[in-house]
Amino acid sequence: MIQVEGLTKLYGEFVAVNDLSFAVAPGEVMGLVGPNGAGKTTTLRSLAGIIPPTRGTIHICGHDLATEPLAAKRELAFFTDEPRLFDYLTVEQHLAFTARIYQVADYQAVGARLLDELELSPKRNALPGELSRGMKQKLAIACGLLHSPKVIYFDEPLTGLDPLGIRRMKDSILKRARSGAAIIISSHLLHLVEEICSHILILKSGRKVIHGTLQEITRQFSEQAGDANLEEVFFRATNETEVAPPVPVSAPPERTQGPI
Amino acid sequence: MISALLYLQAHSFRNQVVSRCKRLRQPKYLVGAIAGLAYFYFYFFRFLFVPHRHGHGLPGGITAGHPLLLESAAALALFVVVVLAWVIPHERAALTFSEAEVAFLFPAPISRRGLIHFKLVRSQLRILFTVLLLDLFSARMGGSLWMHAVGLWLVFSTLNLHFLGSSFGRTLLLDRGMSNALRRALVLGLAAALAAGVVVWARRTMPGLTGSDSTTPDALLGYAERVLTSGPALFLLYPFRLLVRPFFAGGAQAFLVALGPAILIVALHYAWVIYSNVAFEEASVAASQRLAARIAAMRSGNWQAAKTSQKGKRPWFTLAPTGPPATALFWKNLIGAGQAVTWRIWLSLGIVCVALFMAFGRTAHGPEVLVTLVSVFLVYSLFLGPQFLRQDFRQDLAQADVLKAFPMRGWQIALGEVLAPVIILAAVQWLLLFFGILFQAGVHTARAHLFLAGGLGAVFLLPAMDALLLLIPNAAVLLFPSWIQAGKDSARGIEATGQRLVFFFGQVLVLAIALVPAAIVFAVVFFLLRALLGPAPALTLGAMVAAVVVAVEAALGVLLLGKLFERFDLSAEGNAS
Repeated sequence: MIQVEGLTKLYGEFVAVNDLSFAVAPGEVMGLVGPNGAGKTTTLRSLAGIIPPTRGTIHICGHDLATEPLAAKRELAFFTDEPRLFDYLTVEQHLAFTARIYQVADYQAVGARLLDELELSPKRNALPGELSRGMKQKLAIACGLLHSPKVIYFDEPLTGLDPLGIRRMKDSILKRARSGAAIIISSHLLHLVEEICSHILILKSGRKVIHGTLQEITRQFSEQAGDANLEEVFFRATNETEVAPPVPVSAPPERTQGPI
Repeated sequence: MISALLYLQAHSFRNQVVSRCKRLRQPKYLVGAIAGLAYFYFYFFRFLFVPHRHGHGLPGGITAGHPLLLESAAALALFVVVVLAWVIPHERAALTFSEAEVAFLFPAPISRRGLIHFKLVRSQLRILFTVLLLDLFSARMGGSLWMHAVGLWLVFSTLNLHFLGSSFGRTLLLDRGMSNALRRALVLGLAAALAAGVVVWARRTMPGLTGSDSTTPDALLGYAERVLTSGPALFLLYPFRLLVRPFFAGGAQAFLVALGPAILIVALHYAWVIYSNVAFEEASVAASQRLAARIAAMRSGNWQAAKTSQKGKRPWFTLAPTGPPATALFWKNLIGAGQAVTWRIWLSLGIVCVALFMAFGRTAHGPEVLVTLVSVFLVYSLFLGPQFLRQDFRQDLAQADVLKAFPMRGWQIALGEVLAPVIILAAVQWLLLFFGILFQAGVHTARAHLFLAGGLGAVFLLPAMDALLLLIPNAAVLLFPSWIQAGKDSARGIEATGQRLVFFFGQVLVLAIALVPAAIVFAVVFFLLRALLGPAPALTLGAMVAAVVVAVEAALGVLLLGKLFERFDLSAEGNAS
């Protein structure tokens, strides 16, 4: 579904992504993780056809993103960390606009169902300025799902969501994967990645450090140093400074010499 | 505590200056700064270095024969501003702070009076800058620079304090149960009663203007001066006159005499503001959030979103889910244009033109004046229209990622983006042309038919030229996104003024080059057909063929713009800068 070969992106002499290759099959959810500046967002933007790669090829549902960009883009949806909406279009007008761009003939039925699911129906005539952060994100999701994409990218999908929103977002991602979509999630929230991703790709300085199923990479690191969860794998794989384990709630507080 | 606030203000200003100086290392800012400085030098400062500076003075007949008229007119203008300060605003008192200032200062142990002082100190920077600019501007007309500067400072400082004090006063009235509507009715009623008193007094005690008196400007000005400087108007405008008197003082002695009362007025306003005990914090927090949203919208080039109190707009047509996708962008941008394309605006424009025609269409020189006005507006619409109508890439550049993810070719996105402003501008121009031709019907000259023929040709030529003119700033914003007012980092200051000047001249140059082929084609067609059909049909047909040439150029421009957009990478621009 997603086939990436030798993806490289340069900004002048700065290498943002370096010779990246991987594939995501239908139904798979791949977690794209890495420290700040690892190239996660650049990778996602390249995969979405927003920025052209300097080298390498990207195939979406068999369509080369460089030579058949329209066919490839019709199959995908990209959800940015900050919902990008048009300030002067209402919720309903966003759906009408998106439908025309993606040529969704039956958008009214699909849109009404999505608005109901996302509890946005009462806000159908509201402008983005009248919506909360979470509602804006829901609107962006409704627009993105209107054309039933087969490939979906999420950049930090849980930013700004309340606990219920987080639960629903996780369920929604898994539901799309079960219905056959190939999904890539870029996130710093390792417990989210661990919870819903079947595959993991760890980047550092634009290079692939680890790629495999969650079980494969945790097994690989467990063989080296006992049981390892994704957080430990991440720190070891990226050689990041390890932090002290969290203090148990029952532990007595340390006494300090003076006011902090 | 005030020292901490002064520290914040002084260091913010210093750091801003330093960062602006540092960015001069980038050519785009350096070129802008040079052009901006040259503009300021030649427009303002050059006059300061000319020996025996006389200036142009104010229009003859105003200052010469009526020395008190300007002072009275300024006092009247201040009176109107003060009345409006009590009428127009409807919100509770709010000092506008940035979100960072709210976050740091409001929870800090700073008294309400301390916050007001901070606000006053900060507003002084703005006032001093405005005074400097206006003083340099007034230097072109002669007079004492320092007296003008002090006079302007007194007026602006008093107005600033009055706006603040009136906002406190309005809040107090609201708290005591007086609604905005009642307050407005009372203030307007009082102002109307005072104005009526002045009119009645003038009619009863002063001889009216009759016969030839009413046609000479000198007689009109003299009458206005007498009305404003005697009777009830004298007392009504007296405090305002005291305030503006230092600015209009004829010499140092008159200035010093006028200074005392004006300073007293400022001091009284200061005391009023400082000793008002009105809670403004809650409204200030809301105002700071609105300000932050407006700044973010303006910096992203979305001036429509920068306006307050938005409501969803009805689209001009229903967008079908299938068809050319570029139409979706056109549809979206028409909605984004908001007020510019409502029926009410078009109807109002039409009514104004019809009213002008009814009023002046049959007078001796009325039609000529109206035709001249229409022609001036047409020329302005060509050059200023593309600056005002920004429902294109300049508005959507911050959403470039979203647009690039759409399954559309670059040229389709470019076409959809520029279509809305082209159509709106062309509609305005067609309306102007229609009324221009209507007014021209009242002008009986031998060349009326040529005007009609030219007007018909312009119907075709103007939209094509609009497209071309709108493509230039759109291409510029994709080629030099950080030079143009779009994206996240729009520049301000002298260098920004210079950048705008450079781009304006660049646009004129590109347009001139682009119009050369059309001008050649027009000339050939016109001279060939003039012998066969006469000048009027040749003019129309020549303009139509030239319109086709310009349209072809515009179409090629759309293809080029699409290519530029496909290659455009805002993140690369950010990295580069």
